[in-house]
Amino acid sequence: MKQFILYIGKILVLILLIMISLDVFYTYVFCHTSGRNKTELVLTTEDKNYDLVILGSSRAENHFVPSIFNSKGIKTFNYAMSGSKLEETALTLKLMLAKNFKIKNLILDVDLNLNSNSHSDNIRATFLPYLPISPIIREHYKNIPEYFSYRYIPFYRYAVNEAIGYREVGASIKSKKINTFDLGGFYPLPNRGKNLYYDMSKFSPKRNKGYEEIRKLCKENNINFIPISLPMCQNTMKDFGNYFQEMKKLYPEIHHYENAVVDDKYFSSCGHMNVEGAKKLSTLVLNDFFEK
Amino acid sequence: MFFNSLKFAVFLPIVFIFYWFFPNKSKKNQNLILILASYYFYSCWDWRFLFLLIFSTFLDYYTAIKIEENEKKSIRKFWLWLSISINLGLLAVFKYYDFFAVSATEFISGFGFHVEPVLLKLILPVGISFYTFHGLSYIIDVYYKRIKTEKNFIDYSLFVSYFPLLVAGPIERATHLLPQLKVKREFDFEKAKEGIYQIVWGLVKKVVIADTCALYANEIFDNYTTMNSMSLILGAVYFAFQIYGDFSGYSDIALGTSKLFGIDLLKNFDYPYFSRDIAEFWRRWHISLSSWFRDYVYIPLGGSKGSKLFQLRNVMVIFLLSGFWHGANWTFIVWGFLNAVYFIPLLLLNKNRNNMGEFKLSFNLNSLKIISNIAFTFAITCLAWIFFRANTIHQAVDYIYRIFTNHIYSFQYLHIGRSVEKLIVFLVIFTLIEWNNRNKIEPISGKYSWIKLALAITAILTLGIFSDYKNFIYFQF
Repeated sequence: MKQFILYIGKILVLILLIMISLDVFYTYVFCHTSGRNKTELVLTTEDKNYDLVILGSSRAENHFVPSIFNSKGIKTFNYAMSGSKLEETALTLKLMLAKNFKIKNLILDVDLNLNSNSHSDNIRATFLPYLPISPIIREHYKNIPEYFSYRYIPFYRYAVNEAIGYREVGASIKSKKINTFDLGGFYPLPNRGKNLYYDMSKFSPKRNKGYEEIRKLCKENNINFIPISLPMCQNTMKDFGNYFQEMKKLYPEIHHYENAVVDDKYFSSCGHMNVEGAKKLSTLVLNDFFEK
Repeated sequence: MFFNSLKFAVFLPIVFIFYWFFPNKSKKNQNLILILASYYFYSCWDWRFLFLLIFSTFLDYYTAIKIEENEKKSIRKFWLWLSISINLGLLAVFKYYDFFAVSATEFISGFGFHVEPVLLKLILPVGISFYTFHGLSYIIDVYYKRIKTEKNFIDYSLFVSYFPLLVAGPIERATHLLPQLKVKREFDFEKAKEGIYQIVWGLVKKVVIADTCALYANEIFDNYTTMNSMSLILGAVYFAFQIYGDFSGYSDIALGTSKLFGIDLLKNFDYPYFSRDIAEFWRRWHISLSSWFRDYVYIPLGGSKGSKLFQLRNVMVIFLLSGFWHGANWTFIVWGFLNAVYFIPLLLLNKNRNNMGEFKLSFNLNSLKIISNIAFTFAITCLAWIFFRANTIHQAVDYIYRIFTNHIYSFQYLHIGRSVEKLIVFLVIFTLIEWNNRNKIEPISGKYSWIKLALAITAILTLGIFSDYKNFIYFQF
């Protein structure tokens, strides 16, 4: 039995060594590469100056065309991330401010993401490699149930989050850049929709901690905060327009653009406009907020 | 509590410590600790079904004693059939009732009558098919006087409920397991080490191979109408590896875990995808179930004795039963039928026992023949797996139809964000490892075992899927 206990002890040491080595390797790779996602981009750059920054989910990522704003001399980058919830968006803004980003205006997509206070596993994962080195990320996540395991068990955060797993490490080593960076963070969608519909019967807007945190950060840092609700396809707007009315009661400061573009031909799917729709909306917002 | 969960990683060492370090290390205490651990393990799924397990245990324990007590054949038969009826009755109610109800109403509506089926919608108790078969084998063996009844209720309960095999086998035999439970186990370092290797390799098969294949196979099967021929072929191959990795991985962990307690369980897999014909495949796949059907159904039906027609009937019966054992769905029955169809030509030509021994490959025509036989057997097995994996027979037939009619063999990009061919290299490496170690239980032991162990652990940590604990496929049976 003594022999076996010693043997198990050796195996445990081996496992620990492997976990530490892998953790060090993965963290090194993520901290020394950029261009794989917008979190990396924020964390590997400093002192950026923007007239306009766009934040939010895929609805913002697919709907705002920075080149339209840039052509009018408004220096813009679309930092919205597909799948992102307001919790991660708030963290993104905190990191930008810590990295001395100077932001004059911030457009935030606020609509369907008010349906819950949940988080996105995949987007949260993109912050986790920096947990040991960033006090802001640690502070932001200190109350989540997995915090202890993420922080103190080597490699745990990489093992349980596929978004920062071996495939992502491989892509980072190969320096495979995502092409949205060349378009200022805009991700254009193809296709023209027809008779689109999205069931929002179970949706109801709620007060959101992440949203309120972003609003507060903007106020404290003198950023002109422009919260915007974005277009949905017309069939859904007919049935569930009430959702947006309820949003008004919760947060009256939100600018309502959910009916700004209605024709399905401007949509790729019900909640995501195609490139033509995105251009149309970006021009509208540009005119309303920056060319008055 | 899954074998690949953190909960099990805590549970196992605790049971191990109690088992080997309990002050009075008697056989009775060892069995008592294992039975308590087994009941706790089982109640982690649903404590209510623990009563069903205990009832089933008591039923077989009592009826076996009654069979042995009586010399009169009619009384012995009465107790035998009472046990069989109640055991199969429970299985029928929990597992098959809704299936029969729906099938019957569909049949009746075929004649123009509209009948609503009365469904029970019961949750299937985990492991019911396995522990029912444990009990049945015991009771039949007692009836045929192959074994003496077990008078010690704790020892018998442990035979039925022993946690490594409780929820997904292997289906043990009283003749093999009970004698081991009747003696005090002494710790054997080499056996425990073997157990550790087997657990680690089982985890590689489950979390690295099966769960990765599941990502692709699920995506392809769930969206098969949008897939081209190449994707559909690869979907079937990926599912073949998924089910093999999942079930043989589970069996490896079960066998390895049991070795830590000094108890050997029956081997359940013997590199089945290296079989040269379907008969050999069934001697290597889910061995404990195949041999159960052979010993308790096929041989009592007459086995390979009698006319060819008689033999064909027996083969058909065991394959259909085997399919039906897996689940209450016509897809499993067709899967069993298809395997019978593969097997029957071998039986008719007296070739079903041709490939019994080991084989070696070299650069000659015979080796080429062996490789092509293995490839052919694997291909027809994959074809049958399509029925096993599909939700309906129509879906399976449509899936196969599309393989042969689509004629597009490019590599598709899947919604999971990966190209369909990405897994091929990965599976080739896994196959080569298994091929090179096919004469061993697992590939870690032997020369450079520490390096191989380190590589296996690294593979589990980096390539394994832990984002949500994937259930073992055979838990649903």
